[in-house]
Amino acid sequence: MSPVAECLIAFVFGSVVGLLVQRSRFCNTAALRDAMLFKTFRNTKALLVAMMVLTIGFTGFISIGAGNPMRFDVGLNQILGLFLFGTGMVLAGACTVSTWVKAGEGNFGAVWALLFTFIGMFLFSLIWSFLYWPPAPSAMTGELSIERLQLGFSNAETLQEKTGIPAIVFGLIQAAVLFYIYQAIRRKEAKQQGSSGVESV
Amino acid sequence: MEFFRKTLDPVIALGAIAVLDIFLFLLVGAWTVGGGETMMTGLIAQFFIGDSINQIPFWQEVFKPDAGYWKIYISLGMLFGAIVGAVASKEFFWRFPKRLSEWVMITVGGLLMGIGIRLAFVCNVSTFFGLTPELNLGGYLSMSGIIAGAWFGSLIYKRVLEG
Repeated sequence: MSPVAECLIAFVFGSVVGLLVQRSRFCNTAALRDAMLFKTFRNTKALLVAMMVLTIGFTGFISIGAGNPMRFDVGLNQILGLFLFGTGMVLAGACTVSTWVKAGEGNFGAVWALLFTFIGMFLFSLIWSFLYWPPAPSAMTGELSIERLQLGFSNAETLQEKTGIPAIVFGLIQAAVLFYIYQAIRRKEAKQQGSSGVESV
Repeated sequence: MEFFRKTLDPVIALGAIAVLDIFLFLLVGAWTVGGGETMMTGLIAQFFIGDSINQIPFWQEVFKPDAGYWKIYISLGMLFGAIVGAVASKEFFWRFPKRLSEWVMITVGGLLMGIGIRLAFVCNVSTFFGLTPELNLGGYLSMSGIIAGAWFGSLIYKRVLEG
């Protein structure tokens, strides 16, 4: 596919996402923060449903050799990086999606968060230039490397190759776990509604 | 139009986005935002510092500035879609953080998000809508990090709210 076509597809996809997120008020930050702080799960349920659909869809296509899964080594940097990110998104009140969507609604705080996300990325690029860690994609080996704190690379595709079991089987197991969590949340909500009903009586 | 008058159920919205993301996965790759933002950072830095950017190894070895990088256009599309949605539903208006504590939290939060994305090579979108559904080990590592981070951030957020 030509780069122009790729950019066009990405723009159309992004536009629909922006519209749907704006109209639904979905926020990834709220999906985690509200569940932890306020015990409300409006966004958490939506996140789980999307993950269920995606797990079945991605692993289904990976089973037949289709799709473009991400391929890069992973390790301690994912845990540390997303810990910083998770803290940051709660403080900023927006994640990568909602900063763009809220900016599109005229929220200057989101524009400010976006500006400092860019500044944070640039600052990290300076630090990386001294540390050379985590390894650049060209230096990744796909194998376990203790000294580089890297666990290598593994996904549904490699699981299928190593076990001979179609990726969709693992996908269905993950989707079942996600569905169990979704149902547990719904039961919790029903219980909360029940107890608030008794209080109001 | 009804669509612009009522709030859409996020389960329906995210279900639809997930189906579209599967098509995107088949054509170019799963939905991600951090990579596009990094490339934008490189392009903006190049605009301001010119060829000096070539002296920073990160922008040579990890992300070579390229305006034709497809992931940039997902973010620009999201901005465009959100503007259309906000204007059509008469929800567009300029809002500014009121308290100094909000400005400080947004500034620190933005910086942490930027540093975190680059350290991890992934963002929250790749974690939940890309890596984990691909059963990528990185997805589970990232999820454990983001949940711990959100919990820690919530403690700070709660303290600031109460203070």
